[in-house]
Amino acid sequence: MNKQNIVDCERNRLEKITSFRLPQYFYKVGIAIGAITIIMMFVRAFAMEGDTEWLKHLLQKTLLIGMLLMSIARDKEEDELTIKLRMQSYAWAFITGVVYTLVMPYVEFGVSNVVHSGGEVYQDLGDFQILIFMLLVQLMSYHTLKRYR
Amino acid sequence: MQNTIKVERAILNLTQDDLAKKIGVSRQTINSIEANRYVPSTVLALKLSVLFNKPVNDFFKLSDDD
Repeated sequence: MNKQNIVDCERNRLEKITSFRLPQYFYKVGIAIGAITIIMMFVRAFAMEGDTEWLKHLLQKTLLIGMLLMSIARDKEEDELTIKLRMQSYAWAFITGVVYTLVMPYVEFGVSNVVHSGGEVYQDLGDFQILIFMLLVQLMSYHTLKRYR
Repeated sequence: MQNTIKVERAILNLTQDDLAKKIGVSRQTINSIEANRYVPSTVLALKLSVLFNKPVNDFFKLSDDD
C-alpha cells in the first residue's frame, strides 16, 4: 500500500467516524433512560437510607449514557442542513463547556462566601457536572437551531 | 448568494415538500434555501440543476456581499 492509499484509507475511516449516527429510535431510548434515571435520583435522595454513594455514581453515569444516545441518534429527516446544525451545536457545547469549566468554580466560590461568610473552599467542577452541561447545551442548541432553520 | 428556486419550483408546479422528496432533503431545508438562510452543497445544487434541467448559474447568483 503506497502513501496516498494510506492517507485515503485514514481519511475514509475518519469520515466514517464523523458521520456515525445511531438509528432514530435510540433518541427515544435515551429519553427513557434519562427519565428513569432522574426518577431514581429522586428516589435515592428522598426515600433511600444508608450508604448509597455507589448508586449516585451509577445513576450519574446512566444519565450521561442516556443523553449521549439522544445526542448521537439520527434525526427523523437527516440531511446536509441538519448535519451542519448538529456540528454547530457541538461547537457551541464545546466552547460553552470550556467557559463554564473556567468560570463556574469562581462563581460557586464567590456566591458561597457572599451568602455565608467563610463558605465553601474553592474547588474545580466534577466530570459529571461538566459533561452533563455540555450535553444539555448541545441538545438545546441543536433543537433551537433546527427550530429557526 | 441569491437564488430563484421558488420561481423554478413554481414553473414545475411543485410544492416545497414535493421538491424536498425529489432531491432527498427535508421541506425545512428547501424553505431555508429559498429564504437565503442556507447555501446548499454542490451535490444538492447539481441535483436541483438536473431536476430543473438548467445550469446551476441560472438559479444561483452571487450577491454583492459574497
